[in-house]
Amino acid sequence: MAIQTSRRNFLKSTSAFAAAYAFGTMPSLARAAREKELNIYCWEGYNSDDVLDPFRREFDATVRAEGLTSDPDAVNKLRAGETKVWDLINVNNPWARELMWPEGLILDLPRERFEPFFEKMMPAFHPPYPWAMDKTGEHLLGVTQRFGPFNFVVNTNKISRAMAEDQGFKLFFDPAMKDRYGVLTYDNWNIYHMCVAADVHPFKQHTPEEIAAFSDAAKQVFNGAKILTDDLVAMNLALINGEIDAYFTGGTYTASPARYDGHNNVRGITPNSGPMDGKGGIVWIELTSVVNNPQVSPLAEEFLAYIQRPDVSKNVAFAEGTYNPVTQMGDEAVLGAFDSEELDAIQWDSLEEEMARSQDYDINPDYAEMYDHYSAAKRERES
Amino acid sequence: MKIVARWIRQPGFLTALPVGIFLLIGFAGPLVLVLLYSFMPPKTFTLGQVPTIENYISVVTQSYYISFGWSLALAVVTVFLLILITYPVAYGMAKIFGKWATLITILIALPLLISENIRLFGWVLLLLKNGIIDGSLQYLFGLSLSGMLYTVPAIVLGMVYVYLPFMLFPLVIGISMVPESLKEAARDLGASRFQIFREVELPLSMPGILIGSLLVFILTLGSLAESKILGGQAIVMIADDIESAFTFAQNWPKGSVLSVILITISLIIIYFLFRKIDLDRVVGRR
Repeated sequence: MAIQTSRRNFLKSTSAFAAAYAFGTMPSLARAAREKELNIYCWEGYNSDDVLDPFRREFDATVRAEGLTSDPDAVNKLRAGETKVWDLINVNNPWARELMWPEGLILDLPRERFEPFFEKMMPAFHPPYPWAMDKTGEHLLGVTQRFGPFNFVVNTNKISRAMAEDQGFKLFFDPAMKDRYGVLTYDNWNIYHMCVAADVHPFKQHTPEEIAAFSDAAKQVFNGAKILTDDLVAMNLALINGEIDAYFTGGTYTASPARYDGHNNVRGITPNSGPMDGKGGIVWIELTSVVNNPQVSPLAEEFLAYIQRPDVSKNVAFAEGTYNPVTQMGDEAVLGAFDSEELDAIQWDSLEEEMARSQDYDINPDYAEMYDHYSAAKRERES
Repeated sequence: MKIVARWIRQPGFLTALPVGIFLLIGFAGPLVLVLLYSFMPPKTFTLGQVPTIENYISVVTQSYYISFGWSLALAVVTVFLLILITYPVAYGMAKIFGKWATLITILIALPLLISENIRLFGWVLLLLKNGIIDGSLQYLFGLSLSGMLYTVPAIVLGMVYVYLPFMLFPLVIGISMVPESLKEAARDLGASRFQIFREVELPLSMPGILIGSLLVFILTLGSLAESKILGGQAIVMIADDIESAFTFAQNWPKGSVLSVILITISLIIIYFLFRKIDLDRVVGRR
């Protein structure tokens, strides 16, 4: 009995100690540990060792980076409480200004430290760059780096670039294209591109007639498609194998891995004209922001400054997975780091004209309603 | 009150308590959350709103029945195909192969150690136009079978392949539970081979068939990878709609409604299956 009592006492005191340790000392320990710790939630590329290892060595830091597969999914995770986990989030341009900043999910950056970086970028990104600012124009919400026109992709051995650019998204309505193309199901992008195909500006308030036109376009695109997949590698493979001759929704981001692999006939196309104030293409720009983490790592801002360096910018552009232009290519030191094959992979020859024909990716105010039409068209597809 | 106190003090209850609490938080908790979210207004991200059945109305009036239909149909087809394919193998493993059965078990269980997606991509390489099968046939015989990938049969193939062990192993256990003496008795009484199979072996191995079928049915009903990777989304499965609702559509309540309906359908089917087949009788307790 005596033994039992003492065991109980022992258990009591140890558990009390454990509890005190867990609730009392842990937060301060965690804080101390975060000085050397950085968690990044990003599109693939920033999580490559080529980008992270030099930073780990220089700052003697433990860096954990996880690749994300969709912007809305990433924002969902922050909403669901993962602001406690991540220090940096890297998503496409509209999310920071329109959603993450108003919802208190991200922090602003010191302008005096980061705006000089914008001055060295390509002219279109010089400060104040609207997508990096909040709506009042006072707060800097992140830094830009990768970007790219994103419309559709063709096999130029089968469909000429000039013809594809002239026809734009109408190409996919051509009866001769039935079962000769795939739809890369990046749902949000598909919706924007189906708007453009229906001659509707995707980033404005829509009339019922415009939504009906969009719905018809969605049905036509899905009914004529041979393959639907959200896997860009599978889509490129189908294009190279001749299973399809084009795919709806794609661009430098998806075509570049195939091009860098020697398949220069895989080409991202930006239409010559369209319904967005005459523009027929859309361009995405990534913005990397500091997460509103209650114990945000001091290394978060250091990392944002680190990725501006010429060698790191090049590594980000050509990290594993997909290859993309970076805004830092406005700096000769960065541009000079790319060889001709790499520039060809990211379609550098036509980048400027494609950008001129493109509208910036934005929020679609009728996305919810259009999504219902879109998902119905996908489900009801005549296969 | 006393009865409750005594019941709580039972060692069985106490030892089950940790796992019970874990299941309550980790299993029942999320399901309750999903149920609560299904009654929140569309496109809200908190539970503090005025409940509504708007999402249920919108799901019923839209064409989601197509996705439910495909998922249910493919689940049923997969279950039947797997019963046909695995029964002879399971019979061999339980009764005939002897020491080789262990080797076969290992060979079948081994792929489970590799991610499902990787195995499915292996099939993509096999079925792809100019891929291993099509390319070899073209080279050797000048034949082309380019239309194999991105079709409904490709999805079924993927499901049958991925979920085979989940049917096979319960079946092996089920068949090995059939006593040899009963088969001998049936034979002595003049039963033919087919009669022995139909009237002795099949009913007595039913628990294995049932458990395997249930496992495969539930898993295929919620499956997504096969239709995405091998099917090229030739059809939209309900799990795909649920994923889209939670991500691209940013509509958690709608995703929750679809999940609640899927869970309810599964429960109803399981309930009727067990009621009709009478588990107690098949496991020989009555």
